[in-house]
Amino acid sequence: MHRSTTRQQYGDEAMTDTSTNVDSPDLDSCVRIGSIVSSNSHLDYVAEVYKERDCDRPPELHEREFGQPVFIKKTVDGTEHAVMGVIYDTQLVDPDQGRTGPRLAQDNQAQFTPGYIEERTTLAGVALLGTAEIAEDRGIQEPTHQMPRWTLEVEDTVFQCPDQVTVSFHTVDDQIQLAYMDRLLDIAGDLGSEVIVALIDRLRGMLPEDDPNQRVLDVVEQNVQWQAREQRGMV
Amino acid sequence: MADRSDVVGTVAGPGDDPNEFVFVTPSDKSIKTGEFITYTVPVEGEPRSVFARVTKRELIRGLPEGFLADPEVGPETVAATLGVPTDDTELYRLTATVIGYYDTNMTTFANPRQLPDPGTPLSIAPHQQLETVLPNLGCETDSTDVTTLDGVAHIGWLLNRPAEATNLHIPIEKFASTHLAILASTGSGKSYTASVLIEEMMRPSSRASLLVFDPHGEYDTLAEMQGEEAFQGADGYEPNIEYYDPERLRVRISELEIGDVMAILDNPSNRMQERLSTAWRAMQRQESRTWGIDELIAEMERIYGDDDASVGALEWRLRRSIERNDLFHPEDNVPLGEIVDPGQCTVLQMDTLDRWDQQLITTVLLRRMYRERLDDVRDRDSDIEHPIFALFEEGHRFAPASGDAPSLGIMRTITSEGRKFGFGLGIISQRPSKIDEDVLSQCGTQISMQIQNPTDQDAIKNSVEAAGEDVLRELPGLTPGQAVVSGDAMNTPALIQVRRRHTEHGAGSRPVIEEWREAYEERQREPTGSEAADFGEGDSTGVQSLD
Repeated sequence: MHRSTTRQQYGDEAMTDTSTNVDSPDLDSCVRIGSIVSSNSHLDYVAEVYKERDCDRPPELHEREFGQPVFIKKTVDGTEHAVMGVIYDTQLVDPDQGRTGPRLAQDNQAQFTPGYIEERTTLAGVALLGTAEIAEDRGIQEPTHQMPRWTLEVEDTVFQCPDQVTVSFHTVDDQIQLAYMDRLLDIAGDLGSEVIVALIDRLRGMLPEDDPNQRVLDVVEQNVQWQAREQRGMV
Repeated sequence: MADRSDVVGTVAGPGDDPNEFVFVTPSDKSIKTGEFITYTVPVEGEPRSVFARVTKRELIRGLPEGFLADPEVGPETVAATLGVPTDDTELYRLTATVIGYYDTNMTTFANPRQLPDPGTPLSIAPHQQLETVLPNLGCETDSTDVTTLDGVAHIGWLLNRPAEATNLHIPIEKFASTHLAILASTGSGKSYTASVLIEEMMRPSSRASLLVFDPHGEYDTLAEMQGEEAFQGADGYEPNIEYYDPERLRVRISELEIGDVMAILDNPSNRMQERLSTAWRAMQRQESRTWGIDELIAEMERIYGDDDASVGALEWRLRRSIERNDLFHPEDNVPLGEIVDPGQCTVLQMDTLDRWDQQLITTVLLRRMYRERLDDVRDRDSDIEHPIFALFEEGHRFAPASGDAPSLGIMRTITSEGRKFGFGLGIISQRPSKIDEDVLSQCGTQISMQIQNPTDQDAIKNSVEAAGEDVLRELPGLTPGQAVVSGDAMNTPALIQVRRRHTEHGAGSRPVIEEWREAYEERQREPTGSEAADFGEGDSTGVQSLD
């Protein structure tokens, strides 16, 4: 099965690099979240989340949560880039589901259902936000919130983006930017405002209390939430 | 492509009203409400500049209001955070009302009855063109150097333009013949504006014959015109400013009419009225014009006998009301030749007279002058052989809506007929609602300044024909020194800033705090126990009602 083989391949690679430090800005030691399996549009991809069998250190639940920033490495024209994205949706897949007919076995008897259990998987929707160059110190530089022009490939690894990198991606000229917001709202649809609020929460937690950007983020968050409530008919 | 450097906006389409159109401008072309804009349309094959006034301005594209949630965070910061461009994003939709193109044959505006097509470029109307076409100057082209014209009064400049950029010169002849009203609440510059007009009318190019009825003594600085270079003519002309103080104001008893006397007397009975009018008519028929109360009473006694009770009662009343009042005199009156003359501005200072006396002297003077003007126009012997213009400070005092002033009748006559006889009136008042409607509606030119009171605004709306809705809307928002000029002297109403006076202004509020402090110190210096002196230094402004 196509998906299994790719998973195996990346799992091997992951095994060589097990010491992951979430807080380090080093892009090479980030937790692998999953791999791209399909896309809905140029900016909207689907990743399958790694499980025990796929790699040495599968992401923990909080490392692949809703609103988690992610990145995918891409080398373009000799320069290594990080294509930045965010998990904006998740979906559970269970091929076994729907096969709950009358059973022959008793309750206390083990079921014989070969293969299927391992096919249960979690899919994560990844919306692309922008790009940045990967610097020599393995951090990022020159972040841009323009629409990424390059396509990802199936089997590209999706990494968890450390919070420092998230902040530096969002900082342009000392000012916090979320210039991708309109595109993200469009892709994320119903959960758009929630994914933005999650991103803002994450940024706020990283910035010092008295940072002037805190208040700007407040205003943006208010706006997004208000608009969402308006659209949903609450106000 | 045509040069569009002076284009400030582009027509988007017709507006709600038949004469309205809507246009769009970017934020850097800031066009204020009330601004005059122009576009070109062909009229009978010739391109004509059509003028329009901007009436409304609204934002159609700009940052959402949600960006303004935190006063300490600028909307442009929020916009930058979200990557929203902030440079030149604002777009304004403006509504303009077509005034028309300047018809050089009719020398006024003609409506092309055709709104500009969408896409028509609009530009700000040039200064000189506006100076020519806004006032009713009767120029033969739509762009003339109006400063070279004679008989124009430079009253100020357009409010929306930089100071002294678009100067407004209104034709003196128009407002002096079809009357003028200056309406404004206290402290917004009525008498200042009036003084500006007086200055203009006294210039060598006009040399008006002016009379100012001044119940408050506010015009005592006009004399500064004498000796000022700006007012001297090449032929040696210099304005003559005459002050007529209350002591010189006299009414000859024979010049009163029976109605005036009745109004002065204390509640005369019917019998007294009958006796008095008979005797009065008899005295009027006499050759002599210099009779007094004694002669009048003698006449009454001659007719009714010297023991008539009513005559006795009348005598007491007449002596109390007329003889003891210095205003009335058997012989003296105000010689008309002294108060009206071309190039002369006479200020009748009435500040120590009470209201009745002010009204009476005004009545008598107006009546006499009107008669002289009538005689002059009818080619009879006349003391006044030139047109005259009289300005009334506190105009509601002389032509009150309540009708209880002897002067109302003659004011009505002059405002309705005076035009034919070269007798113009200028009414200055802070209470338009208290002015007689017939008088106010006959004032062809109006200078309206800040007025908050809704009753007064209604009075302007009801009696001033030329005051359109958009003019009335401006009234509460004007600040002192700003005015709307409308009526006969204008082709279309305009918002102006009144120019600075050449002479000092004398009618400001008193420095109350300073005077209190001085008075207090004065009192402290006095030995205790003595009675405090009068603080007023004798310059009381006379008996005034609380209107």
